[in-house]
Amino acid sequence: MDSPTSRLLATATLISQGAEAKVYKAYLHPINENGSSVQPHSTERGEPILLKHRFHKQYRHPALDTTLTKARVAGEARAIIKCIRYGVNVPGVRMVDAPAGVLGLEWIDGKSVRFLLGGGAEGVEEVVGESEENEDEEFIEEDPLREYGISQDDIMRMIGSEIAKIHKADIVHGDLTTSNMIARHPTSPKGLQLVLIDFGLAYTSTLAEDKAVDLYVLERAFASTHPASEPLFASVLNAYAENMGKDWLAVSKKLTDVRLRGRKRSMVG
Amino acid sequence: METFHYAHLPDNLAHVHLALFHDVSNAAQIRQRIVRASQLEGPDGDKEREAVNFAFVDARLITSLLHLQTAVYQAILAAVRGALRTKTVHSEIIWALSPNNNITEAIRRFGVSDTTQSLLVARVGPSGGTSIEGHMKAVVTGNVLPLADLPKLTDWAIVKKYYKLNADPALKAPGLSQDQQQLIANDIIVSTVAMKSVAS
Repeated sequence: MDSPTSRLLATATLISQGAEAKVYKAYLHPINENGSSVQPHSTERGEPILLKHRFHKQYRHPALDTTLTKARVAGEARAIIKCIRYGVNVPGVRMVDAPAGVLGLEWIDGKSVRFLLGGGAEGVEEVVGESEENEDEEFIEEDPLREYGISQDDIMRMIGSEIAKIHKADIVHGDLTTSNMIARHPTSPKGLQLVLIDFGLAYTSTLAEDKAVDLYVLERAFASTHPASEPLFASVLNAYAENMGKDWLAVSKKLTDVRLRGRKRSMVG
Repeated sequence: METFHYAHLPDNLAHVHLALFHDVSNAAQIRQRIVRASQLEGPDGDKEREAVNFAFVDARLITSLLHLQTAVYQAILAAVRGALRTKTVHSEIIWALSPNNNITEAIRRFGVSDTTQSLLVARVGPSGGTSIEGHMKAVVTGNVLPLADLPKLTDWAIVKKYYKLNADPALKAPGLSQDQQQLIANDIIVSTVAMKSVAS
């Protein structure tokens, strides 16, 4: 296939891959060619963007694959624009090629919360024999947070207030983990921000139940990736409660229920 | 005029030529010319259509270069796919800028009108060298400004109205300076344009 988007992907650098999509760093808009002497393929490039390519799934019927892919790209883009309009910190949409299964997003310059809390970069533990990664981890043990000029508790409070924002907009993220949160580097133009990413599983819901499950998923993610997570998550919940106002009561009650029974309401499946 | 070359696009659509004109004195004439060109038949019609084969965008409604580039890029993607909603890639740019699907309204709001004073002229096509700038200047009477001046010409009141930003909670957060508000508005607008093809 030789569509513009597949040619763009061919020039892009693969960053990570999951079961659903591959994520690339690419350059969409070129720097202008003025000053006449500039070579046709100048190395100067503008802002990078992130490309999320939902690749073709061999195990699905092609017709179903196309429809599902299109619907998922559309769904993710819609969730993101809704977040932006509600003032949630999320990466902006930069291009959409739904038939190709590609979503182009704003590049966020920063590190994942998982990394900042010393949980290592995502996927590191799956890589075999990466000795240099381990060396890195030793001297970053406490350094990354200092570079960002914030404490662990500051990050937790930012997480809580950001989740409260999406829930007040009646958006449920669906996959809250510390890997799906990026602290924007303080020196970037927009300054230090906590940015929520990956809205691939997001949906709209007004139910306190769904919001409670969202929090529960994050609580479990904390427990499984970060040691001594309880005080951290408590801090997230505090900030969340403050920002949710009167809606906190309903979510809090549901959260207690969900903790007792787990994420699934029905016992089916 | 500034030219942007997209190496991954097919040659006939790989170059985007942009020029910003200020103090435009012949907007009404340009509009009439575009209308007439679309009605003329035969070789004269083809010649006239070629002469005004640009996207004429009201520069007051453009908040940043990225805003325009996003619309241009989505229009080119539609053209390559053979999925244009309007007749040409240039009218598609204007349509892509508009937050709704009404073509007439898009052209009335984002295209050239009789009172337009600042115009962004865009041409998508093969590498055309400097002759394109000459063709642009042959149609538009006005001063050429660098694209970097684009944000100075933005009329935020109309932009907010057309993109329906006044109800958005993001802009109502307390303690936002005007600059911050405009940055946020630009973010909303760029994303809106980028995702128009899949908007609900």
